[in-house]
Amino acid sequence: MPTDTKDRATQRQFEALVSKLRRRQLVGAHATAMQTVLLLRQVVSVHRMANIQELVHTVKSVGRELVAAQPKEHSVGNIVRKVLRLIREEHSASNTIGGSGTATPLPASAPLTPLDRSFSAHPPPSGPLSLGNFVLLGHQRHQPHARAEKHAHGSEDKTFITLKPVLIQAIQEVIDELETVYENVAKNARDHIHTDEIILTIGKSRTVEAFLKSAARDRRFTAIVAETAPSYSGREMAKSLAASGITTVLVPDSSIYALMTRVNKVILGAHAVLANGGMFAVAGSLMAATAAQAHATPVIVCTAQYKLTPLWNLYHEYGALDFSDPAAVLGLGQDAIADSVDVLNPYYDYVKPDLIDVLVTNYGDHSPSYVYRLVNETYDDADLEL
Amino acid sequence: MADKATRAPTKAEPKQKGPPPTAVPPPKPKLSKAERRELQEKQRAAKSEAAAAGPSTKPGPAKQKPQKPSADAPPFSVAASQQGAAAPSRRRSFSSSTGPGAAHDIRSLHIFSHFGLPKSSSHGIKGDIHPAIVRLALQFSEFKIVGANARCIATLTAFKTLIQEYQTPPQITLSRHLMTYLSPQISYLVSAGRPMSVSMGNAIRHLKYEISILDIDMPEQDAKNFLCERINHFIRDRIVVADQVIQQLCLEKIHNGDIVLTYARSSVVEKALLEAHQAHISFSVIVVDSLPLGEAKHLLHTLTSAGIPTTYITLPALPSILSSVTTVLLGAHALHSNGALFSRAGTALVAMMARSRGVPVLVCCETYKFSDGVSLDSFTKNELAPAPKKSPNSTNPPNLHVLSPLYDLTPPSNITAVVTEVGLIPPSSVPMVISGRGLNQGA
Repeated sequence: MPTDTKDRATQRQFEALVSKLRRRQLVGAHATAMQTVLLLRQVVSVHRMANIQELVHTVKSVGRELVAAQPKEHSVGNIVRKVLRLIREEHSASNTIGGSGTATPLPASAPLTPLDRSFSAHPPPSGPLSLGNFVLLGHQRHQPHARAEKHAHGSEDKTFITLKPVLIQAIQEVIDELETVYENVAKNARDHIHTDEIILTIGKSRTVEAFLKSAARDRRFTAIVAETAPSYSGREMAKSLAASGITTVLVPDSSIYALMTRVNKVILGAHAVLANGGMFAVAGSLMAATAAQAHATPVIVCTAQYKLTPLWNLYHEYGALDFSDPAAVLGLGQDAIADSVDVLNPYYDYVKPDLIDVLVTNYGDHSPSYVYRLVNETYDDADLEL
Repeated sequence: MADKATRAPTKAEPKQKGPPPTAVPPPKPKLSKAERRELQEKQRAAKSEAAAAGPSTKPGPAKQKPQKPSADAPPFSVAASQQGAAAPSRRRSFSSSTGPGAAHDIRSLHIFSHFGLPKSSSHGIKGDIHPAIVRLALQFSEFKIVGANARCIATLTAFKTLIQEYQTPPQITLSRHLMTYLSPQISYLVSAGRPMSVSMGNAIRHLKYEISILDIDMPEQDAKNFLCERINHFIRDRIVVADQVIQQLCLEKIHNGDIVLTYARSSVVEKALLEAHQAHISFSVIVVDSLPLGEAKHLLHTLTSAGIPTTYITLPALPSILSSVTTVLLGAHALHSNGALFSRAGTALVAMMARSRGVPVLVCCETYKFSDGVSLDSFTKNELAPAPKKSPNSTNPPNLHVLSPLYDLTPPSNITAVVTEVGLIPPSSVPMVISGRGLNQGA
């Protein structure tokens, strides 16, 4: 975080969040997204901004450090990108509406600032060619704010100070969206589940939980919940579903294949949805999705928009390579053999897009092949790399 | 649950006790082979007819009905009639926690109702059941003896005791009467212990064959000794030696630097891995485990104490680790004649994931576990694992049910090869081995 904009309280909040992420005290897409957006609201509100570039730079650098603290919590970066886009949009809107007449189109030959260079048609690759800037290179989009930034650059933007309440309000809307995200994903649940179906889900995803509970208001169906070792979060999920009146069957992970012949739909939660339509999800998802494909059972993924991540994963088919505490798998201490055994407890699976039939988001239902488009609509090209 | 359990045999009893009185007199007048067969056929038809009509006509289930919510009964009688004579006492309510009026719950759960339920130990002993069989049934039902091989050997050993202590009634030859003596014992074992495994079924069929071809003129003690010897030979040839051959064949498939993955615990796989270690092959093992039984922990103990580098994971972690695996070794409960593998629940997932990553899947299976039946899904025949000691149901809401199938079915497409004592064969060759076995041994 740049020192010039540092407010002591904000700095403390920032450092606390970084350490929580790093120590995995704060986990889960929703929790981390929420904390991030709260921090960003704080950052924007204390920022003594002279122009948009400074603000964008500050927010980006905050985001960069948060992402570096825990690269696997993709929703942190996504929320930062979303806030950045809002900042750009509000700024460009205020410029066009406020009518500072200087915002005339610049000739294409105008010298580019380093910031602008990243979205010019043929940018020199600034670093090693990564998948991130591969996306950047591949798709050129109309950038209304580019002119605005150009205009703002170098000169004191008189209208910019008045922009702050608007920005805070926009960030507040993101917070509101996060707070209501489960209801919004679940609002069309009845369109996906019909009477007497048997639905299989694994682990505990609050999005899926809300989705099933919402569907249960109109439909009578049976939910099969796999326990999902080693956390056995499925037990909690099953209890919660049963408490709200859904007929629930709790099964061990081992029976997923056996029961799949009778399952009508598999509904999974996501940790992050990638631009190619694949997703990172709780370990066990890949197995459930593969078993579903073997039985031609549709797989529905319930996900909030903030989980859409502008990343591609074409090569790391073998899990997300993030490991957790092995003690949960084979109780340590109580077992003498624990010293001589390797115990692995991966957090996530990578589920390929071809295993997913539909993504149900709070912005409608989409096929995995459309996710790249949603990503483009949601985030600004300039922010794909924080 | 307890009174239902004690009731179950009373209802199964007349059906099983029924045949001997009617079956004993006919052999006395010497019947021709054709006549005997005709009679048997008639009896069998009558039996299956009775079983099909059973729940509606027999007094047993009628007595049970008032205990259950009224909507409960029809689905179970449907399930029972589909099962026919194969599962005489599996007609108990799936979940006792189902409240009255929860018609929907019952409808949705009755699809699982034909799964064999774990028996409670307070099972009444009816008739002339040998103590060895009672003990064995208890050991089965409490999962003290688990695994197709272990159960088969334990059953055959108990039968040896039975045969030695058996006294042929006067006027009847041993070969004619021994079967009628053994049948109720087997029925008890199946109804009070666990459903018959394919391995046990094949072994018992073999024993029946041996009894049927006994020379009538053989002195009784000689006949008993002969039968016990045949049982010993069966255990030696079809299980012990078969396992040794399978171990040797596995040895050729485990190389230096290999990472072998196995699921749950198979006695053959365990021995094969230990054997490979003793043959100074340096390899490591990934042990995959899952509930309901969590048997792989025992395997883990064995392997680590032997000094084999071992990794332990739960089933959901499998895809993350699969890229490093060179071979998957699985055990078998039974192998159906369409090449489908019936094994511990979770095996199908392991095989499916391994095949999706191109990792060879080897199934270790003695040929005596081959079943001439065809199976297409894990639903038609399955069994439920016993509920955990401290039931999580106690505090659970009424419409939460716990279901733990013991087995699942791996389609032949997910199996690379079957390691048997006759060599490494593709799963499609299973029926050929079965027919060959039929010719050689009449079993």
